[in-house]
Amino acid sequence: MNSFANSMNAAANGMQAQGFRMRVISENIANKDTPGFHRKTISFDNAYNRERDMNLVKVDRVSLDRSQLERVYNPAHPMADDSGHVELSNVSLMMEMADGREANRSYEANLATFQQARQMYSSLLDILRR
Amino acid sequence: MDINAFNAMKTYGAAQKTLNPGAAAKTAQTVKPGGEGAGFQPIEAVKTVADTVAKSEAAAAAFMTGEADPHSVVEAMAAAEMAVETAVTLRNRVVEAYQELLRMPI
Repeated sequence: MNSFANSMNAAANGMQAQGFRMRVISENIANKDTPGFHRKTISFDNAYNRERDMNLVKVDRVSLDRSQLERVYNPAHPMADDSGHVELSNVSLMMEMADGREANRSYEANLATFQQARQMYSSLLDILRR
Repeated sequence: MDINAFNAMKTYGAAQKTLNPGAAAKTAQTVKPGGEGAGFQPIEAVKTVADTVAKSEAAAAAFMTGEADPHSVVEAMAAAEMAVETAVTLRNRVVEAYQELLRMPI
Protein backbone atom coordinates (compact mmCIF):
# COMPACT_ATOMS: atom_id res chain seq x y z
CA MET A 1 0.00 0.00 0.00
CA ASN A 2 1.39 3.38 -0.86
CA SER A 3 1.37 6.39 1.44
CA PHE A 4 -1.39 8.12 -0.51
CA ALA A 5 -3.72 5.20 0.02
CA ASN A 6 -2.75 5.25 3.70
CA SER A 7 -3.51 8.94 4.11
CA MET A 8 -6.82 8.44 2.34
CA ASN A 9 -7.58 5.64 4.78
CA ALA A 10 -6.70 7.83 7.75
CA ALA A 11 -8.89 10.64 6.42
CA ALA A 12 -11.79 8.26 5.84
CA ASN A 13 -11.43 7.06 9.44
CA GLY A 14 -11.48 10.65 10.67
CA MET A 15 -14.59 11.40 8.66
CA GLN A 16 -16.25 8.33 10.08
CA ALA A 17 -15.42 9.42 13.61
CA GLN A 18 -16.76 12.93 13.01
CA GLY A 19 -19.88 11.44 11.49
CA PHE A 20 -20.44 9.46 14.66
CA ARG A 21 -19.88 12.61 16.70
CA MET A 22 -22.54 14.36 14.65
CA ARG A 23 -24.90 11.50 15.38
CA VAL A 24 -24.41 11.92 19.13
CA ILE A 25 -24.95 15.68 18.84
CA SER A 26 -28.21 15.24 16.95
CA GLU A 27 -29.32 12.73 19.55
CA ASN A 28 -28.70 15.31 22.28
CA ILE A 29 -30.51 18.07 20.42
CA ALA A 30 -33.44 15.81 19.62
CA ASN A 31 -33.79 14.97 23.31
CA LYS A 32 -33.50 18.55 24.50
CA ASP A 33 -37.07 18.52 25.85
CA THR A 34 -37.05 14.97 27.17
CA PRO A 35 -37.49 15.05 30.96
CA GLY A 36 -34.61 13.37 32.79
CA PHE A 37 -32.34 13.07 29.74
CA HIS A 38 -28.60 13.26 30.37
CA ARG A 39 -26.62 14.52 27.41
CA LYS A 40 -24.15 12.15 25.84
CA THR A 41 -20.50 12.99 25.30
CA ILE A 42 -18.08 11.30 22.97
CA SER A 43 -14.36 10.75 23.24
CA PHE A 44 -11.85 9.70 20.60
CA ASP A 45 -8.87 7.42 20.82
CA ASN A 46 -6.13 6.47 18.42
CA ALA A 47 -6.10 2.90 17.23
CA TYR A 48 -2.86 1.43 15.94
CA ASN A 49 -3.31 -0.34 12.64
CA ARG A 50 -0.64 -3.03 12.34
CA GLU A 51 -1.31 -3.74 8.66
CA ARG A 52 -0.71 -0.13 7.63
CA ASP A 53 1.62 0.76 10.53
CA MET A 54 -0.20 3.96 11.40
CA ASN A 55 -2.39 5.47 14.06
CA LEU A 56 -6.02 5.84 13.03
CA VAL A 57 -8.72 7.64 14.95
CA LYS A 58 -11.57 5.71 16.45
CA VAL A 59 -14.48 6.47 18.74
CA ASP A 60 -13.38 5.52 22.22
CA ARG A 61 -16.67 5.56 24.06
CA VAL A 62 -19.91 7.42 24.48
CA SER A 63 -20.56 8.43 28.07
CA LEU A 64 -23.27 10.31 29.92
CA ASP A 65 -22.86 13.82 31.24
CA ARG A 66 -23.85 13.39 34.90
CA SER A 67 -24.22 17.09 35.62
CA GLN A 68 -27.27 18.54 37.32
CA LEU A 69 -30.48 18.39 35.26
CA GLU A 70 -32.42 21.57 34.65
CA ARG A 71 -35.11 21.96 37.35
CA VAL A 72 -38.22 23.90 36.44
CA TYR A 73 -41.08 24.79 38.77
CA ASN A 74 -44.23 23.48 37.12
CA PRO A 75 -46.73 21.84 39.52
CA ALA A 76 -49.16 21.14 36.67
CA HIS A 77 -46.67 18.87 34.93
CA PRO A 78 -47.54 15.16 35.24
CA MET A 79 -43.94 14.35 36.21
CA ALA A 80 -43.63 17.05 38.86
CA ASP A 81 -42.27 15.89 42.23
CA ASP A 82 -43.65 16.78 45.71
CA SER A 83 -42.18 20.28 45.60
CA GLY A 84 -43.71 20.93 42.17
CA HIS A 85 -40.41 20.79 40.31
CA VAL A 86 -39.81 18.94 37.04
CA GLU A 87 -36.37 17.74 35.99
CA LEU A 88 -35.73 18.42 32.32
CA SER A 89 -32.64 17.50 30.32
CA ASN A 90 -29.17 18.99 30.83
CA VAL A 91 -28.69 19.63 27.12
CA SER A 92 -27.50 23.12 26.29
CA LEU A 93 -28.35 24.03 22.71
CA MET A 94 -25.50 26.53 22.58
CA MET A 95 -22.98 23.84 23.52
CA GLU A 96 -24.37 21.34 21.06
CA MET A 97 -24.35 23.82 18.21
CA ALA A 98 -20.74 24.73 18.95
CA ASP A 99 -19.81 21.07 19.10
CA GLY A 100 -21.64 20.44 15.85
CA ARG A 101 -19.80 23.26 14.17
CA GLU A 102 -16.51 21.82 15.38
CA ALA A 103 -17.44 18.39 14.02
CA ASN A 104 -18.31 20.02 10.72
CA ARG A 105 -14.98 21.81 10.50
CA SER A 106 -13.07 18.69 11.42
CA TYR A 107 -14.95 16.72 8.79
CA GLU A 108 -14.09 19.32 6.19
CA ALA A 109 -10.42 19.14 7.18
CA ASN A 110 -10.42 15.38 6.72
CA LEU A 111 -12.19 15.73 3.41
CA ALA A 112 -9.53 18.20 2.30
CA THR A 113 -6.71 15.77 3.17
CA PHE A 114 -8.50 13.04 1.28
CA GLN A 115 -8.83 15.16 -1.83
CA GLN A 116 -5.30 16.46 -1.47
CA ALA A 117 -3.82 12.96 -1.36
CA ARG A 118 -5.86 11.97 -4.36
CA GLN A 119 -4.84 15.02 -6.30
CA MET A 120 -1.17 14.52 -5.43
CA TYR A 121 -1.23 10.97 -6.68
CA SER A 122 -2.98 11.96 -9.86
CA SER A 123 -0.37 14.67 -10.49
CA LEU A 124 2.31 12.02 -10.01
CA LEU A 125 0.67 9.89 -12.67
CA ASP A 126 0.51 12.91 -14.94
CA ILE A 127 4.29 12.94 -15.00
CA LEU A 128 4.25 9.40 -16.32
CA ARG A 129 1.57 10.31 -18.84
CA ARG A 130 3.44 13.40 -19.98
CA MET B 1 -7.18 2.78 -29.55
CA ASP B 2 -7.81 -0.11 -27.16
CA ILE B 3 -7.80 -2.73 -29.90
CA ASN B 4 -4.57 -1.29 -31.22
CA ALA B 5 -3.01 -1.42 -27.78
CA PHE B 6 -3.90 -5.04 -27.17
CA ASN B 7 -2.76 -6.06 -30.62
CA ALA B 8 0.51 -4.30 -30.04
CA MET B 9 1.00 -6.10 -26.71
CA LYS B 10 0.21 -9.45 -28.29
CA THR B 11 2.55 -8.85 -31.19
CA TYR B 12 5.19 -7.67 -28.78
CA GLY B 13 4.94 -10.92 -26.83
CA ALA B 14 5.11 -13.00 -30.01
CA ALA B 15 8.05 -11.02 -31.36
CA GLN B 16 9.90 -11.40 -28.08
CA LYS B 17 9.45 -15.18 -28.23
CA THR B 18 10.82 -15.47 -31.77
CA LEU B 19 13.62 -12.99 -31.33
CA ASN B 20 14.89 -14.15 -27.96
CA PRO B 21 13.72 -17.61 -26.83
CA GLY B 22 15.72 -17.42 -23.61
CA ALA B 23 14.09 -14.19 -22.53
CA ALA B 24 10.66 -15.50 -23.46
CA ALA B 25 11.16 -18.54 -21.27
CA LYS B 26 12.22 -16.23 -18.46
CA THR B 27 9.04 -14.21 -18.90
CA ALA B 28 7.01 -17.40 -18.76
CA GLN B 29 8.75 -18.22 -15.49
CA THR B 30 7.76 -14.85 -14.10
CA VAL B 31 4.18 -15.51 -15.12
CA LYS B 32 4.11 -18.81 -13.24
CA PRO B 33 2.49 -18.19 -9.82
CA GLY B 34 5.03 -18.48 -7.05
CA GLY B 35 7.88 -18.16 -9.52
CA GLU B 36 11.06 -16.50 -8.36
CA GLY B 37 11.46 -14.02 -11.19
CA ALA B 38 13.26 -10.93 -9.97
CA GLY B 39 12.29 -7.35 -10.74
CA PHE B 40 9.01 -6.11 -12.15
CA GLN B 41 6.31 -8.76 -12.21
CA PRO B 42 3.47 -7.57 -14.43
CA ILE B 43 1.14 -10.41 -13.56
CA GLU B 44 1.53 -9.83 -9.81
CA ALA B 45 0.86 -6.11 -10.31
CA VAL B 46 -2.28 -6.87 -12.31
CA LYS B 47 -3.40 -9.24 -9.56
CA THR B 48 -3.02 -6.49 -6.97
CA VAL B 49 -5.10 -4.14 -9.12
CA ALA B 50 -7.77 -6.80 -9.60
CA ASP B 51 -7.79 -7.41 -5.83
CA THR B 52 -8.30 -3.71 -5.13
CA VAL B 53 -11.14 -3.49 -7.65
CA ALA B 54 -12.78 -6.60 -6.20
CA LYS B 55 -12.52 -5.05 -2.71
CA SER B 56 -14.21 -1.87 -3.90
CA GLU B 57 -16.99 -3.90 -5.49
CA ALA B 58 -17.50 -5.85 -2.28
CA ALA B 59 -17.63 -2.57 -0.33
CA ALA B 60 -20.20 -1.12 -2.75
CA ALA B 61 -22.34 -4.25 -2.45
CA ALA B 62 -22.11 -4.13 1.37
CA PHE B 63 -23.14 -0.47 1.27
CA MET B 64 -26.17 -1.27 -0.86
CA THR B 65 -27.33 -3.82 1.68
CA GLY B 66 -26.77 -1.32 4.46
CA GLU B 67 -23.87 -3.15 6.09
CA ALA B 68 -20.98 -0.82 5.27
CA ASP B 69 -20.24 2.75 6.16
CA PRO B 70 -20.28 5.20 3.23
CA HIS B 71 -16.80 6.38 4.16
CA SER B 72 -15.29 2.95 3.65
CA VAL B 73 -17.03 2.69 0.28
CA VAL B 74 -15.62 6.04 -0.84
CA GLU B 75 -12.17 5.01 0.35
CA ALA B 76 -12.32 1.64 -1.42
CA MET B 77 -13.54 3.32 -4.60
CA ALA B 78 -10.75 5.88 -4.48
CA ALA B 79 -8.18 3.11 -3.94
CA ALA B 80 -9.58 1.19 -6.90
CA GLU B 81 -9.53 4.32 -9.04
CA MET B 82 -5.89 4.91 -8.11
CA ALA B 83 -4.93 1.31 -8.92
CA VAL B 84 -6.75 1.20 -12.25
CA GLU B 85 -5.42 4.58 -13.30
CA THR B 86 -1.87 3.44 -12.52
CA ALA B 87 -2.34 0.22 -14.46
CA VAL B 88 -3.79 2.02 -17.46
CA THR B 89 -1.02 4.61 -17.47
CA LEU B 90 1.66 1.94 -17.29
CA ARG B 91 0.01 -0.04 -20.07
CA ASN B 92 -0.19 3.05 -22.23
CA ARG B 93 3.48 3.72 -21.67
CA VAL B 94 4.45 0.17 -22.63
CA VAL B 95 2.33 0.30 -25.76
CA GLU B 96 3.67 3.72 -26.64
CA ALA B 97 7.23 2.43 -26.33
CA TYR B 98 6.41 -0.47 -28.59
CA GLN B 99 4.79 1.79 -31.16
CA GLU B 100 7.87 3.96 -31.03
CA LEU B 101 9.89 0.89 -32.01
CA LEU B 102 7.48 0.11 -34.84
CA ARG B 103 7.94 3.59 -36.23
CA MET B 104 11.68 3.15 -36.40
CA PRO B 105 12.95 3.35 -39.99
CA ILE B 106 14.79 0.20 -41.00
